[in-house]
Amino acid sequence: MDSLLALGHGFVVAFEPTNLLFAAIGVVLGTAVGVLPGIGPALTVALLLPVTFKLDPGGSLIMFAGIYYGGMYGGSTTAILLNTPGESASVVTALEGNQMARSGRGGPALATAAIGSFVAGTIATFGLAFLAPVLVRLAVNFGPWDYFALMVLAFVTVSATFGSSPLRGLTSLALGLTLGIVGIDQLTGRARLTFGVPQLFDGIEVTTLAVGLFAIGEALYVASRHLYAPEKPIPVKGSLWMTREDWRRSWKPWLRGVGFGFPIGALPAGGAEIPTFLSYTTERRLAKNPEEFGRGAIEGVAGPEAANNASAAGTLVPLLTLGLPTSATAAIMLAGFQQYGLQPGPLLFTKEPALVWGLIASLFIANTMLIILNLPLIGIWVRLLAIPLPWLYAGILVFAAMGTIASDPSVVELAMLVGFGIIGFLMRRYDHPIAPAVVGLILGPMADNQLRRSLQMSLGDPMILLQNPGSATLLAIAALALVAPVLLKGLERFQAQED
Amino acid sequence: MKQGTLRAPDRVPVVVGIILLAAAAIVAMDANHIQSGFTYGISPAAVPFVVAGFLALLGASHLVVAFRRRDPADDSDAWNPGPADWKAVSLVLAGLGCLMAAIAVGVGFISGSALLFALTARAFGRRAFVVDLAIGAALAFLVFLLFNNLLSLTLPEGPIERLF
Amino acid sequence: MMLVTRRRITLAIGAGLLLAGVPAAAEAQTPPELKIMAPAGAGGGWDTAARSLQQVMTAIGVAKSVQVTNVPGAGGTVGLAQFVTKASGKPDELMVAGITLVGAIISNQSPVTLKQVTPIARLTGDPLVIVVPANSPIKTVADLTAAIKKDVAGTIWAGGSAGGADHILAALVTKAAGADPGRTNYVAFSGGGEALAAMLGRRVTAGVSGYGEFQGQIEAGALRALAVSSPERLAGVNVPTLKELGVDVEVVNWRGIFAGPNITAEDQKKLSTLVETTLKSPQWAEVLKARGWSDYYAPAAEFTTFLASEQTRVQEILKSLGLAK
Repeated sequence: MDSLLALGHGFVVAFEPTNLLFAAIGVVLGTAVGVLPGIGPALTVALLLPVTFKLDPGGSLIMFAGIYYGGMYGGSTTAILLNTPGESASVVTALEGNQMARSGRGGPALATAAIGSFVAGTIATFGLAFLAPVLVRLAVNFGPWDYFALMVLAFVTVSATFGSSPLRGLTSLALGLTLGIVGIDQLTGRARLTFGVPQLFDGIEVTTLAVGLFAIGEALYVASRHLYAPEKPIPVKGSLWMTREDWRRSWKPWLRGVGFGFPIGALPAGGAEIPTFLSYTTERRLAKNPEEFGRGAIEGVAGPEAANNASAAGTLVPLLTLGLPTSATAAIMLAGFQQYGLQPGPLLFTKEPALVWGLIASLFIANTMLIILNLPLIGIWVRLLAIPLPWLYAGILVFAAMGTIASDPSVVELAMLVGFGIIGFLMRRYDHPIAPAVVGLILGPMADNQLRRSLQMSLGDPMILLQNPGSATLLAIAALALVAPVLLKGLERFQAQED
Repeated sequence: MKQGTLRAPDRVPVVVGIILLAAAAIVAMDANHIQSGFTYGISPAAVPFVVAGFLALLGASHLVVAFRRRDPADDSDAWNPGPADWKAVSLVLAGLGCLMAAIAVGVGFISGSALLFALTARAFGRRAFVVDLAIGAALAFLVFLLFNNLLSLTLPEGPIERLF
Repeated sequence: MMLVTRRRITLAIGAGLLLAGVPAAAEAQTPPELKIMAPAGAGGGWDTAARSLQQVMTAIGVAKSVQVTNVPGAGGTVGLAQFVTKASGKPDELMVAGITLVGAIISNQSPVTLKQVTPIARLTGDPLVIVVPANSPIKTVADLTAAIKKDVAGTIWAGGSAGGADHILAALVTKAAGADPGRTNYVAFSGGGEALAAMLGRRVTAGVSGYGEFQGQIEAGALRALAVSSPERLAGVNVPTLKELGVDVEVVNWRGIFAGPNITAEDQKKLSTLVETTLKSPQWAEVLKARGWSDYYAPAAEFTTFLASEQTRVQEILKSLGLAK
């Protein structure tokens, strides 16, 4: 009950008019940068830190929290409407969300994303307030072998994004895995697949690949087809709002999304992407009409969007309780704490209760503000699709290029973006799924590094993967997920023969 | 089952298969050159070799698919991509090229983006090039102001940008 | 997803703290318009240093305006290559860099090196700290070196990227303990967060990082600080230096500022004075305090000598790690 009382005090802090104002500025800024492709909350917070130095610690941290949550909301908008996810955590959202938008259901897709984000954000923030000490123990005990097993599980579930042909899906995945090798190996400092080009030493940015394959590729593809098959996204057909059926189909994926997003987000190397992959696969497996997936199933938007927002709250668990930043934005927020001489860690809750609980309370407030801000915005966003096609795609290209230039103003990076755009165009033209390539680039290097760390710590003994209960369990689930569909199919065939 | 008769292979999977096999060779050759020195556990070349093997396997599968009888149920676009407006595609790529060139030679972000905007709009059938150029420039200018003044992040500059 | 290492971000703190600027005395002519390049992305350590200099320089009026540009890539070597061509002979272009660039030039076999640019001043130097989990049987540096001597493979280190300052320190300590530095079992993590978790979960023997990153855990008693790697103790921190404990190892994560190649002696002198005025200002002192940076100022001549010795030293240790020829 102590926590509840402390949270009450936190709300008193957060409800101070100036803090409310900071939260409001934060969510508006966050939504804005989230909508722009390639500019994430991390960069925004980093660049705003100097500006906020004059503010008091509470106020500026509350603003950062608003940016952080807002960025997570904004990311889904372009993914759904324009098939151009601005960050890797919304790649999965684009799969079903854009299909919905194409059939005139952009409104409900944005609504389920926004409401799902709100629900997930709220539940996960409660989790942050009350479960943090338990979760953090789990997080600290999650070793490289456990991460590796989690990646294996995520790899197995990727097949859900393969579309019509496993061969073409695997080819796309292989593209991502190959690109994942490029760069200086973090563990040993050796250059791999860099061909001596210094710009490749840092590896391929996931954002560059995602924006290239999705945004540029899409624009090229639509340009190549608009004469023959004028395919225009339909602004609105039917209601802008979710129907009763949409609600019925959304609420369970929201809750399951939290179940994936929050704990994985709390892991030091968990991230926001893996929960979205796991959520998408789960929803596809559990759906009553799995054939709807790939054609605009609302579950496929609701689940991953809830998952990525819940993971945002999850990353704050190790940040506040241990001082462990587990995402770029969290790392910059840590810098923000340190700029005021605050040291996040085991002592923060006892040393600075007003600040911490004020921050947690303002997360609730930011979340509420976001839903109030975003639901009316849906009507405006959807109207984006009413922009004439030439201007719409010209605008998308300018913004996509700008996002890349902003993070690395070099011609090489821009050339890579265009190169990926051409690949994305060819993949679309020859019906290859795009998402597995991005998944491969995210998961490949992580799996590689975690496997090698495990074996480095065990001095080469592979049994370490099976001796630890966590990794053993995850690997067993992965094996089951791989074998079960085959077994079930065999069983069905067997039964059919019996009849 | 009917005997599969030999026929002309599908062009797309043959090309993809050859690309994959070439990629496998490149990855394997690069991995072979990594001087890993002393490492505990497995060397940094291990995973690239696995990926190379995976690429080779996929390449071989594509070649098999190309020569095998096609499943009549598979009516995917992969086999019949349909016509394409190559002129439009080239215009968009030219726009992107203009932006790259503008940054490379120091003409600046705004001019490059304006050209990208106008050429893309042209690719999608617009004929008012000058109007589009102006719209593109205005859009890029707004973005530039936002970045430069609000976020103090410098986008590539040219003569126009230096005025602000 | 933009994964930025924590090391780089920890320092990403702003400095809008500046009071009303005191116009620099004895500056008869109009102050110059400067450009500072950070050969890293926005938000990183070098970028923050550049932006802090920007704030202080304009506030105290030694520069009319300062523009910060970011050229990320390859540990700074991409930026360095660009700087060498672009800033050649220019009296108004500066670049911020540090020990990581020295390492990156060697291990990336960069064709351009720091020998081609003109050192202006050394700015800051942050000590690294060696820690063990609080309940570890290792209580002192002597215990650690004994453990290394007994079983170098079983003594697992955690820290930042391979070839970075953390790795160099771990290798130097291994060498000082009498073991082959090439056999150091150093596990590189992408950010301080994961390395810290590995330590709190007792999966590794010891960890290396900037003091600031582990400070919270050290104060809370979850980690035990064995030693810092700086030549002197940190003010207000009761942790001995390695030197005091008889381990002759010193590694400081320093940053410095450089001008382009081929600048005239006169321009070099002007820039040195300008930077010196900046670094001696009370505003800069406040920046150091706010960010937890340690002052490590050295003027051009001293910095040049220092740079040469760092290059030899880093080259030697990277060679023993198999990262340099």
